[in-house]
Amino acid sequence: MSAPLLEMRHIDKSFYGVKVLDDVSIDLFAGETVALLGENGAGKSTLIKILNGDYTRDSGDVMLDGQPVHFAEPRDAEAAGIRMIYQELHYAPELSVAENLLLGRLPHRQGAFGWMVDWNATREKAREALKLLNVDIDPMTKMRDLSVVEREIIEIVKALSRKARIIVMDEPTAALTPPEVQRLFGIIRDLCKQGIGIIYISHRLDEVFQIAHRVTVLRDGKHVGTHPIAEVTHKALVKMMVGRDIEERAEVRKNAAAIQLGEVVLDVEKLSKQGAFEDISLQVRAGEIVGLFGLLGAGHNILTQTIFGVEKADSGQVRIGGQVVQIASPQDAKRAGIGFVPLDRKVNGLVMGMSVRKNITLSNWRTLAPLGIFSQGKEMQNTHHWVDQLGIRMAGGVETHTRYLSGGNQQKVVLARWLEANVRVLLLNEPTWGVDVGARSDIYDQLEALAAKGLAILMVSSDIEEVLTVSHRILTIYKGRLTGEFMQGDATQEKLLHTAAGGVS
Amino acid sequence: MKSATSRSLAEIASLVVMLAVIVIFFAQASPVFLTQRNLDNTLLDITTIGILAVFTTMLMIGGGLDLSIGSTVALCGVVIGALQSTWGILPAAGFAIVVGALVGLLNGFLVTYVGINPLITTLGMLSIARGLAFVFSDGLTIPVFDLEGTQIDAYNTFTQFGEGQILGFATPVFVMFTLFIVGMLVLQFTSYGRAMYAIGGNDKASQLAGLSVRRYRMTAYMLSGLSAGIASVLLTSRLYAADPRAAPAMELTVITAVVLGGISLAGGKGTLIGTALGVLILTTLLNGMKLLSTSTDAQNIAQGIVLLVAVGLDQLRTRNINWSRWLRGSRVVPGGAGAKTAAGGD
Repeated sequence: MSAPLLEMRHIDKSFYGVKVLDDVSIDLFAGETVALLGENGAGKSTLIKILNGDYTRDSGDVMLDGQPVHFAEPRDAEAAGIRMIYQELHYAPELSVAENLLLGRLPHRQGAFGWMVDWNATREKAREALKLLNVDIDPMTKMRDLSVVEREIIEIVKALSRKARIIVMDEPTAALTPPEVQRLFGIIRDLCKQGIGIIYISHRLDEVFQIAHRVTVLRDGKHVGTHPIAEVTHKALVKMMVGRDIEERAEVRKNAAAIQLGEVVLDVEKLSKQGAFEDISLQVRAGEIVGLFGLLGAGHNILTQTIFGVEKADSGQVRIGGQVVQIASPQDAKRAGIGFVPLDRKVNGLVMGMSVRKNITLSNWRTLAPLGIFSQGKEMQNTHHWVDQLGIRMAGGVETHTRYLSGGNQQKVVLARWLEANVRVLLLNEPTWGVDVGARSDIYDQLEALAAKGLAILMVSSDIEEVLTVSHRILTIYKGRLTGEFMQGDATQEKLLHTAAGGVS
Repeated sequence: MKSATSRSLAEIASLVVMLAVIVIFFAQASPVFLTQRNLDNTLLDITTIGILAVFTTMLMIGGGLDLSIGSTVALCGVVIGALQSTWGILPAAGFAIVVGALVGLLNGFLVTYVGINPLITTLGMLSIARGLAFVFSDGLTIPVFDLEGTQIDAYNTFTQFGEGQILGFATPVFVMFTLFIVGMLVLQFTSYGRAMYAIGGNDKASQLAGLSVRRYRMTAYMLSGLSAGIASVLLTSRLYAADPRAAPAMELTVITAVVLGGISLAGGKGTLIGTALGVLILTTLLNGMKLLSTSTDAQNIAQGIVLLVAVGLDQLRTRNINWSRWLRGSRVVPGGAGAKTAAGGD
């Protein structure tokens, strides 16, 4: 048997003394697709970044065709034929497909006009490149006029046209509809036939079973296992990723389904916003966790932002505890008793250069500094209360800047802020994005505990397992409209995906 | 706590060392430097800078920037000069402070509600305020004392602002010290101070936490203008004159001192202790150079260099550059040759 195209063996990597990769190995043969699986924080992206030369490994070997290599920079990896296709694509929207494909190496005219671009040659070259994948796209179309999957395909073509040998795809289907996913898979299969090795990163297990030949699973920076796809089951993969049976948790929750629900606290009626969502009516009771599931861009994120007053609704109204409230800004929302845990806590949630204490009390100055001067003792006391209650862990006490906390603890700080502000309704946007497994479970426990205390929780998520695990009731949204409603016991992955992709429930 | 506090302590310590080095150098170089008279004069000279620096510090911690303070000082002075005989000197002085606050409020409105970049907004205001100062004064220095002899008491009071003493300090010096202390308390213990750090650190997150970011920002700009008004009253009183050319490029000096003291242009960090040291270092440097009969041009050059070095260091700190990687840049790394072979081998 010939040497694998790529071999990464016994890779170790630490950041600031924290081991993020511990003896991780992966190999890839030409013409093969290997799925790289693992929860957020499992070390997938670190491994890939080492392959791409973004990070240097602490120890271990990287071999191409059996030869040891060392990539100090992404440029080195590119020279060796390694291509990255990230979830977020980088392209010039106003330029044509041809220009984007040939950016930086556009063919020029001969002779005296050598400084001018030869457009005919550009078009021809682009057409040739597109033919590699039998793609039917006019090279003169502007990038912005393409659909998401077409842009992704262009990105792949671009990678191919520069002699790719290994293509790494990071969650390439996150923004795609099911037919588009199939189109992408067709192309991936073609690539394999051409002898290219693919590393495919995804959270969606059903996709992995369709496209991968083998699967490598990481958990908490460790290599859990590598198996041919035919030898593993869905359930086994989940267990490898999470380290325990997810169903167990769902069982526990089902038993607790006889939860006492209070009166309706959040009542959204016929809320519409042009181009984002339409005619949304939903209710959340005290003590209830409602999951709102949709694919990326379905409008659920903007919906919570609108309820919180970040965005303006065109029509419809919101009632809190039976009272109609006019919410034009986050201040209004806070006054009405609504808290909001936004997407991307590093950008929207926390003041990273401020202490845990100051971040926790950021929304409760009314009580802690009624006349503008902080009551220091009370502030400290309340801070410690939430740190204990939520189990926020940090190295240097409550004066540590939130920058130095792990993702899960950062998210708990944001959560604590709204508890400190004593809200009745909590809106959560993708609450465990980028949170590691242990802290994720902690956050779920906290949400349940908070609901049990009478908080009304509306959780927006694109993570189907999260929605199934935590929600008492699940709503699905597709293209800005609610498409389904399920009680926890009735909901299944299949049903949710079906309605969230526009199917009738 | 350890890391953040010890780092800011290290910054303060390095500023103190810098100040000490400058003081020792000029004490050796000039016999006049350490005399009581020179020190008193220097202290009085820096009051305008010092007062403006207190409010510039708060504004910049909140992520703002005000280039119009120097011109506003001149404009407010001219307002006093132009209105002193019709309104009486004290109402004129009071109105000058109001004018300063209004200029600041307009800056704040344009930045927060209209959304013009603070640099551009206050650069425009710099030009407008200076222009107005020249219009209202016909380009001439206006004497500010009791020409007609009709408001003797009022002018005596007004003169006290510049020349009087409070608790043994010259009034402007006392005012400056008081503002520094009050400013420190505000930044440390009040919600206004906390708001400056929060919105300067991350205005998006602050807004989503329910803070009225715009109102806080507007207030900070308003106070910056107000401080120009206060500084202008003290200066006019001390000089017995209102000059449309007053406080030339003062914003530059103030911002240099503040940034030197550890305030980041990105906002969200810094203390008034740092600012106080920054002001002392910069003004001592400029005073020392003056004593050594260095030309104003050379002083300007020195000030410019200090500004660029201070901002440059701030940038490097903020970006948290990975120096080892930067230095490695073009150097050959072990195994690098192997990578090339592999790439060439296909």
